[in-house]
Amino acid sequence: MGKAATRVMSLSARAMPSAAPVRRRFSADRWFVPVTVLPTFVVMVAIFGLPLLFSLYLSFTGWSPNQALLGGAYVGLANYEDLFADPVFVGSLGITFGYTAAAVSAQLAAGLGIALLLNIDLPYMRTFRTALVIPMMITPIVGALCWKLLLDPSHGVVNHWIGAQIIWLGRPDTAMLAVWVVNVWQSTPYVALILLAGLRSLPSEPREAAAIDGASRWQMFLHITLPLLKPYILVALLLRTIFEFRAFDNIYAMTGGGPADSTMVLSMFTYLASFVRFDFALGAAASWMMLLMSMGLCLVFIALIRRRDAH
Amino acid sequence: MAIVVGTRRATWVQRALVYATLSALVVVFLFPLLWIAGLSLKTRMQTFADPPLYLWWPTFENYADVLGRSDFMMAFVNTLLVSGSAVGLSLCVGVPAAYAFARFPFRGRSFLFFALLVMRMLPPIAVLVPMYVLFSKIGLTTTRLSVVLAYATFSLPLVVWIMRGFFEDLPPELEESAWIDGANRYSAFAHIVMPLAKPGMVAAAILCLQLAWNDFLFAAVLTNNATQTLPVKMMTFSAGDSGVDWGGVTASGMLVILPVIVFSFLAQRHLVAGLSSGAVKG
Repeated sequence: MGKAATRVMSLSARAMPSAAPVRRRFSADRWFVPVTVLPTFVVMVAIFGLPLLFSLYLSFTGWSPNQALLGGAYVGLANYEDLFADPVFVGSLGITFGYTAAAVSAQLAAGLGIALLLNIDLPYMRTFRTALVIPMMITPIVGALCWKLLLDPSHGVVNHWIGAQIIWLGRPDTAMLAVWVVNVWQSTPYVALILLAGLRSLPSEPREAAAIDGASRWQMFLHITLPLLKPYILVALLLRTIFEFRAFDNIYAMTGGGPADSTMVLSMFTYLASFVRFDFALGAAASWMMLLMSMGLCLVFIALIRRRDAH
Repeated sequence: MAIVVGTRRATWVQRALVYATLSALVVVFLFPLLWIAGLSLKTRMQTFADPPLYLWWPTFENYADVLGRSDFMMAFVNTLLVSGSAVGLSLCVGVPAAYAFARFPFRGRSFLFFALLVMRMLPPIAVLVPMYVLFSKIGLTTTRLSVVLAYATFSLPLVVWIMRGFFEDLPPELEESAWIDGANRYSAFAHIVMPLAKPGMVAAAILCLQLAWNDFLFAAVLTNNATQTLPVKMMTFSAGDSGVDWGGVTASGMLVILPVIVFSFLAQRHLVAGLSSGAVKG
């Protein structure tokens, strides 16, 4: 925090004088910023701005794949009305929020615990840290397919150990549980790393002072470490929420949204509407609902970073 | 918590507790991977043995099978080409922009920068739906180029974000003295700044490469049999006509994740900054 703040301050302090005294002997220098920024701007418009505008257009038309690019007839809000009349979509809203909340809270709790343990100053901590972050590095689709084998009803090692023949991915309750476990397994290290970076950057003086004043360990954690760590917890919370909200890979690989739509998150719904049923207009409407919701999350995240950079 | 706080020395009981907890966690977190690695070294008979085999003579036949398949090697080449090009494109386009973001105030700078952040954060499926329609109308779908362009939606913001932070940390005096000596902005950037920026570019490249390598969704939608990438190929082992190919899934899975884990360890120092889009410095 402190480092970031001083970095921003010193930057603005030195950017001011540097621009003025240097004599502009090359008129081409005036074009330096446009020349360097324009390619990025063009790519952003081409692969991000235009597609999003086009999908907004699609969502208000009855476009079908055999029509010309802009040949869809205007249908007003019909696609959005269809969406909210579809019990699968309405259900997927609840499933997405529930899944996100359950996954992020478990990741934060486990991640905080692991970060606190790894922050202890003992030998071999680097080795433990290295071992614990490995799940995060695994290609998500590979991780999910591996878990699918572990949970295999007849040959999986999990069923063998518990001595039962549970069809984990074939029942609504256990399917959701399995997807959640895989997610927590894979993303907890991510939270742990962010929080560990936070713990390492905390000043030691407040805790030393509290120790001298006779604070108990629990009091110190609750009233000193946790409040100081709050900005990092917020960053981890928001980032994980943004990323779980768009969860796709592990669900696609393990359940495909089933059984009985019980793991149908919004990404999965949009994927099936667009690329299985080829109803791109409905898919675009669902995309825009997702965009609006995640845009809200992003704005909160940006506001948070800006506030931190400001002081 | 005293040991967490570091005000008192840990007793040996506390140390033992910490090590025991961490070891248990490592077992839990690494078990799935180790078990799959074990399965990949078993024959078909050994895989389905009941009770499962805990000790056996490892065989590499699954790896030989997978590596002997031309479609797997093709997917490997595709993945390398596509992720390499996406990273190259993002570095060429994004590094100069990141320098401008870090050094020169200009109108629309903060708007553009936060648009980039939003681009990184929004759900990929929401971009993919219109992108697929647009690409199919101009004949780009099923080409590797379409996947490269799709990957730029996450790798370009990541490059700009990481490199901006990197340039801000470089002292500006070096370029300033080059300007005073008569160099223009372009040559000062090319000859003074770029050589200093190499470590940052390596870190950004590795993080982008990891994301591109791991992608499934974009490649699944935008490729066909000839242009598909490894994660897409892997799915076909799991969902083939003849059921799950255990040897194929486990051996190819190990082969897919091995390079990523190596990359990640190379970039470990920069991992946190990259993961948190620079909101936390690693």
